[in-house]
Amino acid sequence: MKLESLIDELTEDLTPVKPRRFWADLLVLALIAAVELALLFALGIAHLDLERLATQPTMGWRLVSLGVIALMSGFLAVRSFDPAYSAKDALRWLAVIVALCLAYGLIMDGPPAGTASLLQRLDWRSGIQCASKIVLLSLPPLAALALLCRRGAPTDLRRTPLLSGLAAAAWGAFVFVFACPFNDPLYIVVWYGIACGLVTLAARVMMPRLARW
Amino acid sequence: MADDHWRDLMLAAQAGDAAAYRRLLVEAGGWLRTYYARRLPASMVDDAAQEVLLAVHTKRHTYDPAKPFGPWLAAIARYKWIDRLRAMKDTLTEELPEDIAVRDHGEAIQSANVLERLLGRIKPAQANAIRLVKIEGLSIKETAERLDQTVALVKVNIHRGLRQLSELAREESHEA
Repeated sequence: MKLESLIDELTEDLTPVKPRRFWADLLVLALIAAVELALLFALGIAHLDLERLATQPTMGWRLVSLGVIALMSGFLAVRSFDPAYSAKDALRWLAVIVALCLAYGLIMDGPPAGTASLLQRLDWRSGIQCASKIVLLSLPPLAALALLCRRGAPTDLRRTPLLSGLAAAAWGAFVFVFACPFNDPLYIVVWYGIACGLVTLAARVMMPRLARW
Repeated sequence: MADDHWRDLMLAAQAGDAAAYRRLLVEAGGWLRTYYARRLPASMVDDAAQEVLLAVHTKRHTYDPAKPFGPWLAAIARYKWIDRLRAMKDTLTEELPEDIAVRDHGEAIQSANVLERLLGRIKPAQANAIRLVKIEGLSIKETAERLDQTVALVKVNIHRGLRQLSELAREESHEA
């Protein structure tokens, strides 16, 4: 087909469209995240225990770190659905923030203990349960991001899924903090890290297939 | 890139203005041809430009009128270009052997050179009519329209031009 005949066809096919708005997409995402959080509180799965927040130092660390990561990566993910936006530098800064949050947790943990104690502290049975719950809680924001991505026009199909996966995973972990009985920084770094890593990896593999061009 | 102009056209297109949309696609198509001509083999330029116009059509709602149109189009063009380069990398190609037999076109090239030189020695109206009908294969009617001449005049020019060409060729062969 010649370019001119394609232009004729496209012109004939033209219908009015509503332009995509960045803030509207961000609002949709924030609403889904807020509904999820409210639902968990309403069902009694999550608890806002102010006493625990004051006495357990990891609680504040977890909420601030995961909240910041979720907000930043969510914001950047939605921005990256615009073809002209490059998330290269932003992703680098985000990686620094994630590393700082993890390092802070490990510093809170103090000097390393013996191997036997480490295995005991990691408590792999509970750890797998926690990680599975974080993965499940990540699914609603991940699905929302995938739909927004499909509707958008991302041109960086490596970084956009990474940002989306990280945003969803961090949000899932943030919500889970309100239901998690564990307070050991090592346990949190390892199992939260595994869960977030799995969600981010899944997004990296699946999302490029969903992007429709 | 005329950013403000294209932004206005796209804004009108998003609202359903077909005339503005056609104008935008024609202008963007021209820009895309130039863009790809510098980046892809000539045989792929048109296909790549078409692919981008299709993407512009399906993703036109993702253009934010608050931003310039040029970078938006350029980002899509670049994305499609990289996609094409990846596809080219995956396409199997066979290296041609060094000793492959190729027909010698020397004689044909020499004849074309001689003919071109002889055509330069007859009247331009006759030479043009001969070029279009006898070399490019156009009909007498098409040639008449192209040269803004009557059909009868084209026929006369071809007849006289050919006669003159044969005389010139004969003279040259005698001199040689």
